[in-house]
Amino acid sequence: MPDMVTLTIDGQTVSVPKGTLVVEAARQVENLIPVFCYHPKMAPVGMCRMCVVKVGTPKMDPATRQPVVDADGKSVIAMMPRLQTACTTPVSEGMVVVTQDSEVEHAQRGVLEALLTSHPLDCPVCDKGGECPLQNLTMGWGPGKTRFDYNDKVHFEKPVPLGDLIYLDRERCILCARCVRFQDEIAGDPVLGFYNRGRAWHIISQSDPEFDSKFSGNTTDICPVGALTSADFRFKARVWELQPIPTVCNHCSVGCNMTFDTRSNDIKRVMPRENDAVNEIWLCDRGRFGHHFNTSKQRLTTPLVRKAGKLQEATWEEALSIVAQQLDGIRSTTGGKAIGGLAGTSLANEDLYAFQRFFRETLGSANIDHRSGSALDLPLDDAGAQYGIRSGTDLSTLGKGTVVLVFGADPEEEAPVHLLRIRGINTRGGSVITLNGRPTKLDSIAKHALRYKYGSESAILAALLKPLLDSTPADGKRATLRGFNDLVAALKGFNLDEQASGISADKLNTVAELINSAENLVIFYGRDALTAGASVPAGLANLLVMTRKAGATNSGLISLLKGANARGALDLGVRPDRGPNYAALSNAGLDAKQMLSAAREGKLKALYVAGVDPVGDNPAAAESLKKLGLLVVQELFLTETAKLADVVLPVLSVAEREGTYTNAERRVQRFRQAIRPTINARPDWQILQALANQLVSEAVLSAAGGDKSRKQTRREEDKARVRSEWTYASPAEILMDIQANVAGYKGVSYASLQGPTGQWGRQANENYYFDGTSYQNTGGLGVQLPAAVETSSIQTLQPFSVSTPASVADRPWTLVGATFLYDDGALLTDTDLLNNRKAKAVVALNPVDADKLGVKNGERVTVSSGRGSLSLPVHRTKLAPEGVVVVPVGVNNVGLVSVVEGGATPVAIRREA
Amino acid sequence: MLYEQHKAEIDGILARYPVDRKRSALLPLLYLAQDVYGRLNRDSIREVAEILDLPYTDVFEVVGFYTLFYNEDVGKIVLDVCDDVPCCFCGAEELVADLENRLGIKAGETTKDKVFTLRRVKCIAACDQAPVLQANLEFHNRVLPDKVEAMLTKLRNDVEAGKPVSISGRLAER
Repeated sequence: MPDMVTLTIDGQTVSVPKGTLVVEAARQVENLIPVFCYHPKMAPVGMCRMCVVKVGTPKMDPATRQPVVDADGKSVIAMMPRLQTACTTPVSEGMVVVTQDSEVEHAQRGVLEALLTSHPLDCPVCDKGGECPLQNLTMGWGPGKTRFDYNDKVHFEKPVPLGDLIYLDRERCILCARCVRFQDEIAGDPVLGFYNRGRAWHIISQSDPEFDSKFSGNTTDICPVGALTSADFRFKARVWELQPIPTVCNHCSVGCNMTFDTRSNDIKRVMPRENDAVNEIWLCDRGRFGHHFNTSKQRLTTPLVRKAGKLQEATWEEALSIVAQQLDGIRSTTGGKAIGGLAGTSLANEDLYAFQRFFRETLGSANIDHRSGSALDLPLDDAGAQYGIRSGTDLSTLGKGTVVLVFGADPEEEAPVHLLRIRGINTRGGSVITLNGRPTKLDSIAKHALRYKYGSESAILAALLKPLLDSTPADGKRATLRGFNDLVAALKGFNLDEQASGISADKLNTVAELINSAENLVIFYGRDALTAGASVPAGLANLLVMTRKAGATNSGLISLLKGANARGALDLGVRPDRGPNYAALSNAGLDAKQMLSAAREGKLKALYVAGVDPVGDNPAAAESLKKLGLLVVQELFLTETAKLADVVLPVLSVAEREGTYTNAERRVQRFRQAIRPTINARPDWQILQALANQLVSEAVLSAAGGDKSRKQTRREEDKARVRSEWTYASPAEILMDIQANVAGYKGVSYASLQGPTGQWGRQANENYYFDGTSYQNTGGLGVQLPAAVETSSIQTLQPFSVSTPASVADRPWTLVGATFLYDDGALLTDTDLLNNRKAKAVVALNPVDADKLGVKNGERVTVSSGRGSLSLPVHRTKLAPEGVVVVPVGVNNVGLVSVVEGGATPVAIRREA
Repeated sequence: MLYEQHKAEIDGILARYPVDRKRSALLPLLYLAQDVYGRLNRDSIREVAEILDLPYTDVFEVVGFYTLFYNEDVGKIVLDVCDDVPCCFCGAEELVADLENRLGIKAGETTKDKVFTLRRVKCIAACDQAPVLQANLEFHNRVLPDKVEAMLTKLRNDVEAGKPVSISGRLAER
């Protein structure tokens, strides 16, 4: 228990931790002092003066340093000579606060009258109207009349765009600096500021592009007036007509809690839903504005079946029976091994579970993967679940004593809200260490921002592990570490080549020391780390084990996988090598790459693709898919793969159905149906169930005739495998099945996901003037699954080895495929607002290197590896270190997929004539 | 460009501050940029931000706050005449009218030959010398009617003779 301080607020006694501000202490006794500039997530500034209160402290006798007491033995209270701002005054023992009396009211009324001198009377057309703190506080505390002359109002040009996403109405602005402070303190993008002074004071953004931040939408939530409005929601609806439906963002692995605000069966806006353990009250702009795919006109609306070479509309019955018959035909002639299935990471847990069941049970095939089979696929990441961050960890509470290691990851682009959370840990006194091959935004706050050379990742980890190994005493402790001797052997004789790795051994020793002495260790790793070989996630896991933090409170790995439900896909066995809950399989199936080559060789007859786009990711895959006897695509859009399909089955989007996702921190969270589908599509699990059930009966049918005994055997096999008909009535029932059959998901049900809804710091919704317009979480906080290591008594070190990349003489450059937040992915379909921010198809090249090659911005270069080459215009930027060229992943027409070999790839670069 | 053209001077300014406190050099660099370009526009402000590795917006905030940074072209000499109470008692209004007459402009304007800009300002902390004005921040005390002609002639002659001027006031005596 921290030091508690007891004080009296309007006669009510309250005890709060030392350092609490008066305004927060008052909230605890539901005494809501009005505020505009104060925000619980940001440092107080006392700019708006709305929260003024009377404050008194016990009078001290200067001679004895003791409180002066009156005749009754009570402390005499000395009131401060002036009103104080409750938002900047910390509590002290015996303090007396008066929030409601005539003097305070007079001052507050005066503040509001002054704030309203130039505020326009456009509430009827203002987007904030109805959820506006200024409206509400004016009703509660404001004067009924103003003494200012209407003609003296300061006028500004009505809304000016601050970039593409946000509009600023300077007349409405009350200059509380919440937006400026959010950008400076929380987002770390200091792109907003004040210009001029006095009554001409106003907000500006002069970054390039304007308001250059991935978190700009949050400023519209915390703006206490209608000064900042989003281009997406302007004039779309009156807020009191909106129905907020709790959902989970499906754009990345953070799994931000949010709501779809709907009216007339249309999504009008996306708002954050508070969940301190996930996104606090923030969203990134991709999540906030990228909802248009749900209602896109480009969506598939009805099943399509290829007839006479062309995809033509069909009924569900027709489409499903074609798929079932053909699958059954292949199953009974060549067996399940000739069928492959890909199910993507944006599918819900329920779909993924049904998918693997459909393949393993109904079709008897182990050929399952959640990747597309391109060279840019990430390896299967188990460390993130085995050594994942301990369940019950809330990053928003971590600070002093916590070390965050960001290894080979760019959270800003890969999982933006994690950037805010890492920055928050830093603000609260934690330390951030970045170990990356290229600069990232986090470097600016990192205690150690270290830049390794691509290829030396495992050597860096070895250099971090070695001192930890040496300092581990030789007593019984070592015996509890399984694999200790292997690690010792792997590091025997290891010496860091400082030249090749780019970091000095001393520096890494300091980092190892810092990591070792930390109370909590949180390790983030992303695309760069995942593609750098199996020893990298293993090495990171070993860091946890060697520092005794594997499975420890507030410690563990967070793997920034691509896709909202990549962790769910791995957990539920949508992979060839392991079943649900990472259960080892006796016979591994084909992975996505192997399926494509098997198809090319004619060994794979059918491919069932749900929410994956192998051809979109790698145009060369088309050649393989054309050889298939049957290609079924279950999709939202007519993807490049769907264009080649024999049957296309339209699915419902995240807004049109229910389900759950598992995020990077292994928190299972539920999304709900926000709009009624207006198209003839079905949820993924329903399609799979219909097929599974048809195939049970098909199996019986096709068993008749032919070689009777053989058919009979097959039929028996099928029967044994197919437990029974599927009777899921809803995704909730699938989750019950998951909970019963997947050990890691024990206790996860729609009821438990509904979970506790109240969180400290959050009052009921009508008090949103404290937090902004984000929503109180009524949809549940989700359930965080335990990491495997939490439940095991013995700690295992992962197999680790140091690899040194062979340098290729004629390919001196390193090509890196980087994830960018705004890519050409299908989930940004119809979100045209973000088009200007999308990653461009360019090669990022350091200016020094560009000069060496003699290329200017926009001139084309050819980048070639041992596999192939690409040709793109050059973008000169310091974001590419010398010797490294960066090309975006997930952007159309970059040709990256035919050049990379795993992760960082040695390439040659030639200037094109 | 600013940096390339005035490298020695800028490096000299930067050298006054610790390497990790480059932003301390902001005001001196803005004075320099304003003198070089005759005003501070978007591009010149960005140049300064880049020299100091500061976010553009931060530098614009500073420029916007101070009235002595000009975002429009001004003359070679900016005349700031105080029209606050003590100066008014001593003839500030007459001084402004006199200057407007002689220069053929209104307060807030620049002469056609781009030599003078006339502005009204509030107290410049020399009430004992009222009426007072600043020419490029150089004080001219007790500017009574008999002094105006001579002052303007001298200023104009200096400009015509090619004497260095600084609208940022870098040459004003402290």
